[in-house]
Amino acid sequence: MAEGEQVESDAPVEERKTKKKPVEAAVRIKGIVKRFGIKTAVDGISLTIQQGHVYGLIGPNGAGKTTTFSMLAGYLTPNEGTIEVLGFAPKQVDELRGRLGVLPQDALLPSGDKVGEFLVHMARLQNIPKDKVLPEVRKVLEEIDGKDWWDLRCGSLSHGMAKRVALAQALLGEPDVVLLDEPTAGLDPKVAYEVRQIIKARRGQCTIVISSHNLHELEEICNAAAILDRGRVVASGSMAELTASSHEVHIKVAPTAGVSLANQIPLQALREIPHVKRVELDGETHELGVYFERREIDAETVIGHVLWILLNARVRISGVSKGRGLEQRVMDLT
Amino acid sequence: MNPLAEVGLIVGRELRKNFRSIKGLILCALALLGGFGTTMLLLWVEKMKRQSAADLSLDQLHAIREAGLSKVYGEEQGKYLADAPEVLLLMLLITIWVGPLFIALMGFDGISGELQHRSVRYWTVRTRRASFYVGKFVGSWAVVSTVTFALNLVVWIATMARGEATLASCVSWGLRFWLVSLPIGAAWCGIATLVASQFRTPMLSLLVTFAAFFVIWLVYVIGGVTGRAWMMHIYPNYYDVYLLSPKLDQFAKGLGACLGFAGATTALGAYVFTRRDL
Repeated sequence: MAEGEQVESDAPVEERKTKKKPVEAAVRIKGIVKRFGIKTAVDGISLTIQQGHVYGLIGPNGAGKTTTFSMLAGYLTPNEGTIEVLGFAPKQVDELRGRLGVLPQDALLPSGDKVGEFLVHMARLQNIPKDKVLPEVRKVLEEIDGKDWWDLRCGSLSHGMAKRVALAQALLGEPDVVLLDEPTAGLDPKVAYEVRQIIKARRGQCTIVISSHNLHELEEICNAAAILDRGRVVASGSMAELTASSHEVHIKVAPTAGVSLANQIPLQALREIPHVKRVELDGETHELGVYFERREIDAETVIGHVLWILLNARVRISGVSKGRGLEQRVMDLT
Repeated sequence: MNPLAEVGLIVGRELRKNFRSIKGLILCALALLGGFGTTMLLLWVEKMKRQSAADLSLDQLHAIREAGLSKVYGEEQGKYLADAPEVLLLMLLITIWVGPLFIALMGFDGISGELQHRSVRYWTVRTRRASFYVGKFVGSWAVVSTVTFALNLVVWIATMARGEATLASCVSWGLRFWLVSLPIGAAWCGIATLVASQFRTPMLSLLVTFAAFFVIWLVYVIGGVTGRAWMMHIYPNYYDVYLLSPKLDQFAKGLGACLGFAGATTALGAYVFTRRDL
């Protein structure tokens, strides 16, 4: 009897497995274009997101992040180009069932539904075996710190609670790809921090694509990203590549009264550090930029050398950063 | 998961949602109270008729009813329907006349409400869009059919309590009349779901659904007045005559037409819904 039950409850999982395609990339976007009337919101974006990555879609308002995201989730159909999620078109719901979790932006939860029954309904539509639905729903509710919310109506939840319930439905059933559109928008810092921790906890277990305005958040969470502007990709790559953290370091220097910064900083000594290509001093921002050959030396070693020289020259240091920071990079590109 | 299982889950949720929402409860209560009130009125009219025709025997009354129904439905069908409790027949006619109003009020926000707040996006990554649409249509039909059944039950009980019909007669004719209302309801639900799903604003959906229903009725009336019978076929209630027929071919014609309406509108709606941006 128990054996029979086991076979029955495992059947849908087997069914899901048979629909898996062996793919290298979790998401593959080729030349997608989306027009709304005469306005072109997305203009020929191509991206490849490797499995297991946490990938950010970055850009200012109107850059095409949410439109791209909506096409990835199958809400919108591109006018041109193709999208593959785990080897399938986003609208191939049956093939992607339970393998793709989506947190849509600004989609209200059904106000009359109770949190528990909403998640149970979602889990059943995902084909999670009947006997595993309740444990799975309880698990995600616990993950979002909402285990006492079962009987609350979705309409009565605060913005932060609703966002977390929406996140819970996206994480139901251990999906292979999770799309998160502005997961922390409008949340207070504490809840935003908690949501970030939930996302971080999933790192490595699945591919996560995050569209967000919050660049510090993306820099913290993502290991790769694409910067969009006016519907096009203006830069993409690993976070280290985007922020140039593997080939430049920046040191913020505190000026000393009555002493010129150029006289105080031993620029020549810095230029003689092995594999350093260039040293620049910005007198206005009091920032020292050290550019080096990334294949020959790593940023940490360069920082060590630079700080040693500066401290010996009694230069006061107020900050050190690898690369230019994502925010600066986005500001430069968009 | 096969599409039928998806539809089943959506329908289950629609039933739960509708019978628990304030709008659903109010509409159900109004339908039942209205039905009960109308039944009592019809029974009172029936009693008055009896009193004014006290000198006529039951057979003579039956013959008068048969003659009247024959004028509307034809001789054979008139004879067949003359055996039915008059109140139940009148209740059926009222139900299918008022049905579209109830359907429009019940179903106008089924899809447009989900589109307006984008809640639909939680579903479309889990169900085929066509299944979602069909589930909404079947859900609205199931709600209307359930309420109509409850309404019929009230009518049967009141009719039996007033001694106008026996239990056997109520169940036999009442059930038949309720079954007749189902395909007609399906046709109206199909049209309502198709029209209402084109808009993201529920209020606009409601207004356009009412307008569409009115236009359909108007075309039917114009067809009747001008003698263009083909125009009358656009009105689902037109097929009640066929559905009430004791002849199988006539009944099949009515059933086919109503289910054809429901099928065609649902297929069209599902096609549009599958292709549109959400």
